[in-house]
Amino acid sequence: MNKSRNILLLVGSPGGASSTSASLGHYILDQLAVQGFVTTELNIQSEVQSSDLQTFCKTIDDAEIILLTFPLYVDSLPAPVINTLELIRDRRVKSQVNNQKLIAIVNCGFPEASHNEWALAICEQFAQEAGIHWMGGLSLGMGGVVHGKPVSELGGIGTNIVNALDLVVESIVQKEDKIPEEAIEYMATPPIPYKWMYTSIASISWIFGALKNKVLTKIGSKPFV
Amino acid sequence: MKALILNGERSFEYSLSKFSKIIEDLLKGAGYQIKTIILHEKNIGNCIGCFGCWLKKPGICIIEDDAQEVAREVINSDIIIYLTPVTFGGYSSQLKKALDRNISLISPFFGTYHGEVHHRPRYKKYPSLIGIGVFSEYNKDQAELFTNLVERNAYNFHSPSHASQVFTAGESLQEIELKINSLLSKVGVNYE
Ligand SMILES: Cc1cc2nc3c(=O)[nH]c(=O)nc-3n(C[C@H](O)[C@H](O)[C@H](O)COP(=O)(O)O)c2cc1C
Repeated sequence: MNKSRNILLLVGSPGGASSTSASLGHYILDQLAVQGFVTTELNIQSEVQSSDLQTFCKTIDDAEIILLTFPLYVDSLPAPVINTLELIRDRRVKSQVNNQKLIAIVNCGFPEASHNEWALAICEQFAQEAGIHWMGGLSLGMGGVVHGKPVSELGGIGTNIVNALDLVVESIVQKEDKIPEEAIEYMATPPIPYKWMYTSIASISWIFGALKNKVLTKIGSKPFV
Repeated sequence: MKALILNGERSFEYSLSKFSKIIEDLLKGAGYQIKTIILHEKNIGNCIGCFGCWLKKPGICIIEDDAQEVAREVINSDIIIYLTPVTFGGYSSQLKKALDRNISLISPFFGTYHGEVHHRPRYKKYPSLIGIGVFSEYNKDQAELFTNLVERNAYNFHSPSHASQVFTAGESLQEIELKINSLLSKVGVNYE
């Protein structure tokens, strides 16, 4: 039934396969593959930025649905992701590709998913300029809790993430125009209920990281003044 | 007093030098020492998300290219100006490439600011932030988005004050000058 349906996952994290962005995207891609979709995955930093433009543009044009997953960088999209969107927009005259849809999933390091609001708004503006139908976006705070693990193996901490992604899969299969509000709410629900708990764990991991590299005493250095 | 313009124009698109020239003249008139960096002329790689600037060489990005010089200039300025074509309501990839590499300037640790979690400052003093976005064709939603994004960046970056303005390519020099004057006064520039 879904044999001619084609989904392209664009992973916008330089972390590649071990990133939260990849984990979130893979979950959706795997579910759709089971349903008979043709699935393709490209990593923006390692593949798109170095691939030849013609091949990349053909892959983009062939997709019925583009799923863009990326980390929040400085309140926005990472530079190579913006560069890829510029590239797609620059060569596309509106309405050149019919019925193409975009879904974006952004995750950030701070506990509040609300930091991601503007990055998703940027994705929506891109869709408008490139003549792609915007299905909507999901926003995850505390992205570090996923850290490249398969979403299905996250256990209780990943319940809301799985619920959100399942609803997105369903909306794609059913050829809906928008992802459901409920999916957006699930994804924005903090995986760890207390912010202080998440920031304490993250701070401990910075301390251990610096300790391992023997720079703990220098962690607050001010090298440029 | 020092000011730094980060010009994020794209090499093959319309130049933003008209804007940087006006900013330079106005700030010089107010006694500022001013430097402009045209980012596409620099060798700046993409952030690889390794957090080495916090955990390997604290305060310095581990990639050795021109982004290190940009970060040094940024933190030693009193005002920084992000000058960019408005790109989907945000910044061009050229400007963003440099900004992604500037997380070396803040601390990995967290604090609560403006009611939400952000990173703590690494340095005692941060520059005020001005965002200037240039449209080839005006778009109201994107203009609002641009203003919000500059504000979000100012929060994340502990800027003591911030202001932003969008322009459309065809605006006259007088109009541009008037608006930039008002922007500069919002971050405390005075000409006495
Ligand atoms: C250059 C850079 C900038 C970042 N900026 C933000 C930010 O503005 N807000 C935030 O909450 N997290 C920020 N983060 C944290 C990432 O969004 C977070 O680590 C995310 O979980 C990484 O996802 P990934 O594994 O998919 O790459 C930043 C990280 C880097 C490397």
